[in-house]
Amino acid sequence: MIGLPAALLLGTILFLLLVFLATRGSEEIRGLSSRSNVPLFDDEAGLDPCPPEFVARIFSGDDWQFVSKTGSPQLEKLYRRERKLVALAWVHQTSTAIRRIMREHTEATRQSQDLHLTTETKLVLLYAELMFLCGMLFLAIRSAGPQRVYGLAVYADGLSQRLAQAQHDIKTVTTGREFHGAESS
Amino acid sequence: MTHTVKLVPVQAAYDDLLKRSLSKISCDLARLIYLASTRDYNTGNYHHDGLAARFCPDVAGKALEIAHRQVFYQLSAYSLEELVAQLQTYLDCSHESAEDVLRTWQKLEPYRVAIPVEVNPAVARLFLSNVKLALAIWRFRQEQARTHP
Repeated sequence: MIGLPAALLLGTILFLLLVFLATRGSEEIRGLSSRSNVPLFDDEAGLDPCPPEFVARIFSGDDWQFVSKTGSPQLEKLYRRERKLVALAWVHQTSTAIRRIMREHTEATRQSQDLHLTTETKLVLLYAELMFLCGMLFLAIRSAGPQRVYGLAVYADGLSQRLAQAQHDIKTVTTGREFHGAESS
Repeated sequence: MTHTVKLVPVQAAYDDLLKRSLSKISCDLARLIYLASTRDYNTGNYHHDGLAARFCPDVAGKALEIAHRQVFYQLSAYSLEELVAQLQTYLDCSHESAEDVLRTWQKLEPYRVAIPVEVNPAVARLFLSNVKLALAIWRFRQEQARTHP
């Protein structure tokens, strides 16, 4: 048995390691993208988030079953490589999007005089959980393949949609308050 | 108000495009190629003579753009098995030899330019990857049929 401080220290190290991996993973994806000549579409500002049905499709095992029925090792290899790249690109896109959301949020809170500690804490925790999940997904996809992490990917996607929605709601409320403030002054 | 006035003709142009042109095309893959071919490579604007004459160039362009994006998302959501079937239908309806089309597609990858602008990057990647796989599966099946008739 280990004590609470040791467990906390271990947890923090693990968390930081996974966040580091998520960030490094994104850089690696960029490298893979330039080598495979597949566009990365890095400028994702203003683009729609990946619809949930596509996340399910990327990580689903149905296509793998179809390919394995052919009995061709070359096709199986090609499929594994291709789907892994697509899944890693999705992780990259998700982590880029959540970092952008938090960056925008931090900029907005710097100017805001009406901060709610509970809401801010919740948002930061959600962000930390997502970055942790992205790190885990990055590792798991690389080692086990996308099909094994279907549930985790769908969960992470749900959380990222929640984060985007929460940030959007805060932005709407803040803009509304500022508008009313300007009107009354 | 202005938006409502503008949206109605786009919807009408879209319905017209669906009824007169797209419904006569054999499969979604062929629809995607057709819609991508109405886009100018330099400007990214869509153009269709008949539709522009019935509505106006701007409205026709917008309807084509919407249809292009819609067909793209539809096609990207297909399973690999469905995409192989789409490819089969596309090749069956093509007036060229299936072998030649396949070779050209694998070599030049013309389907890359069939992606609309401003679609989700992960979906675009999934689409490109799935087409690549579908082509490889189709080729494999052809080789199998040749060696084990």
